[in-house]
Amino acid sequence: MLAVFKRELKAYFASPTGYIFMGFFLLISGIFFALSNLLTASPNYLSVLSSITFVFLIVVPILTMRLMSEESRQKTDQLLLTSPLSVTGIVLGKYFAAVMVFLLTLLITCLYPIILSFFGTIAVWEIVGGYIGFFLLGAAFISIGLFISSLTDNQVIAAVVTFGALLFIWILDWIIGGIPTDRVSGIVFACALVVGVAALVYFTTRNIFVSAVIAVIGFGIVAGIYFANKYFFDGFIVRTLEWFSLLSRYETFMMGILSLSPIVYYITFSAVFLFLTVRVIEKRRWS
Amino acid sequence: MIQVIDVTKRYGQHVAVDHVNFTVEKGEILGFLGPNGAGKTTTMNIITGYISATEGTVKVDGFDILEEPEEVKKRIGYMPEFPPLYMDMTVQEYLDFVSDIKKIDRATKKKSMEKIMDLVKIGHVRNRLIKNLSKGYKQRVGLAQALIGTPPVLILDEPTVGLDPKQIIEIRSLIKELGKEHTIILSSHILPEVSAICGRVIIINKGRIVASDTPENLSKRLSGTGRLSLRVAGPEKQVLKLIREIEGVKNAEAQGVKEPGTVDILVEAEKDIDVRRPLFYALSRAEYPILYMRSVDLTLEEIFLQVTTEEREVS
Repeated sequence: MLAVFKRELKAYFASPTGYIFMGFFLLISGIFFALSNLLTASPNYLSVLSSITFVFLIVVPILTMRLMSEESRQKTDQLLLTSPLSVTGIVLGKYFAAVMVFLLTLLITCLYPIILSFFGTIAVWEIVGGYIGFFLLGAAFISIGLFISSLTDNQVIAAVVTFGALLFIWILDWIIGGIPTDRVSGIVFACALVVGVAALVYFTTRNIFVSAVIAVIGFGIVAGIYFANKYFFDGFIVRTLEWFSLLSRYETFMMGILSLSPIVYYITFSAVFLFLTVRVIEKRRWS
Repeated sequence: MIQVIDVTKRYGQHVAVDHVNFTVEKGEILGFLGPNGAGKTTTMNIITGYISATEGTVKVDGFDILEEPEEVKKRIGYMPEFPPLYMDMTVQEYLDFVSDIKKIDRATKKKSMEKIMDLVKIGHVRNRLIKNLSKGYKQRVGLAQALIGTPPVLILDEPTVGLDPKQIIEIRSLIKELGKEHTIILSSHILPEVSAICGRVIIINKGRIVASDTPENLSKRLSGTGRLSLRVAGPEKQVLKLIREIEGVKNAEAQGVKEPGTVDILVEAEKDIDVRRPLFYALSRAEYPILYMRSVDLTLEEIFLQVTTEEREVS
C-alpha cells in the first residue's frame, strides 16, 4: 500500500495534474477570501469555507479521473494485480495519495485564517471544526471519483461522469424538496428498489432463480413492514435520498458544531465507495 | 513446479480456454504456441492470477492460485505482451517501485536491481523517462520488471515481438541463460523462436491443447515417412529412374534445378527403412555424384499447420 501511495503522490507532481488541482483550488479560495474577508473586513472565515465547496465539482474530477482508468488503459494494472499486493491495498494507496494532495492544498489555505488573526480575534476552534468538515467532505467526494475511475479506462469519461455525480449530490437537497412524501409513492419506490436489486443480481450472475427468490423476499419485506408499520412509507423516498446528502451534514460544521455523527457518516460513506471500487476491480477479473 | 488443472475460461458464450491441463517441471522452458486468439495470453493471465478461471485451478510450487494467491504471485515474474510500464517514471524509479510492491528486502534491493539492470543491459538508460525509450528498451525494462525478486517462475508473453533482429537474438540468448535458474513459460507465434529456445512445446488452438512434446519429437512423430533432400549432378530423368528402382523408396520427385547441370530431388522412403546407403551406391555406380544429402524433418510451420487443421476437421 505504501509503495502505491508513494508512486501516486509522485505521479501527481510529475504531471500537471497536481499543480492544476492546487492552482485552481488556491485561486478560487484566494478570490473568495479576498472578497468576503479582506475587502469587507469580516472575520467570518467559515463562510468562505462553505462558499468554496462548489470548487469540488471541478477539482475532484481532475484529481481522481486518472487514478484507476489510466492503469487499465496503460495495462499497468497487470503489474499491480499480479504482484503480491491485495486489491484493497492498491485502492487504499491510491485513495490516500489523492486525499494527501487535497490535504496539502488545504494546509496552504490555513494561511488565510492566520492572516485574519493579525487583524482581530477569530474563532479558532470553529475554524478548526470547519476545516475538519471540509476535509471529510472532500475525502468523501474523492472516494466517489475513485470509484467512477475504476469503471472505465477512459479518463475523460471518468472526469465527466464524476462531475455529473457530484453535481447530482450538489443539487440533491433541492431535488428532495420536490419529491412526493405520501405513502403510496413510498411503497412504489420501495418496490422499484426491490426490482432494481433483483435485476442487478440477474445481470451479474445470470441466474434467474436466485434473482426471483431475492425479488420475492424483497416484496415480502416490503409487505411485512407495511403491515407492521404503515407510517414507515410516509416520506420514504426523501429519507432514502437524504442518505446521500453529503452537503446537509456539512452544514453542522459550518454552524461551528463539531458532532460525531456527521464525522462517522463521512468516513462510512468513503469506506463504502472504496469497498465498491475493490469489488469492481475484483469482479473484472472474474468476468 | 506449475500445474494447470482443467482450466476453462468463458466470456459469455465464447470459450477462450477449454479444459486445459499441463504441468511444467522445474527448470523447464516451455513454449506456448498458437495462432492469434488461440488463448495463449488468457492462459498466462490465469496462471499469473491477473484474471480468474471460470473452472479449474493453477498450482505453483504446491500453492493454489485461488486459496493462496499471494504465495503464488510471489513466485512468478510476469512479462505481459504490452510491458506494464509507467511512462512518467524513470527506469530506476520504476524498478524501485516494482521492488517495493514485490516486497523485496530493503537491504538487498539496490544490489539485485543493479544485477538485473546489468543482465538486461539497461544500466545506461536508468535515469531516462520510460516514455522516451525505444520499443526495444521498453521491452527490456518489462523483462527486468519480471526478473525483480528472482522469482522461480518466469512467464513471458511474446517477449520478442516488435524487436529488431539483433535485439531478438539478444533476448533469446538471455532467456536461454535465464532458463538455467528459472522455470519459464514463453508464448510466441514465431515457430523458429520456440524451437530455438524451448525444451518442450505446447500447441494450443481455439483454447485447446492440440499437441505437446519436444520440438524434435513433434517433428518426427508427425512426419511418418523419412524424407531426404539431395542434389545430384546428372540428367533428371535417368537419376529419377535410378532412385525409384531402389527398394524402400516410396516416391521421388524433382524439385527443379538450382545449380546448372544438377537436379534437386526429394525422396520419400518407407517408414523405418534407411535408403541412404543404397542411394549412394546406386548413384555412384551410375557416376552421378551426390553433391549433398540430408534428411528433411517437418518444420514447426508444417507441424503447426497440420495439427491446427486436423483440429479444424475434428470440430
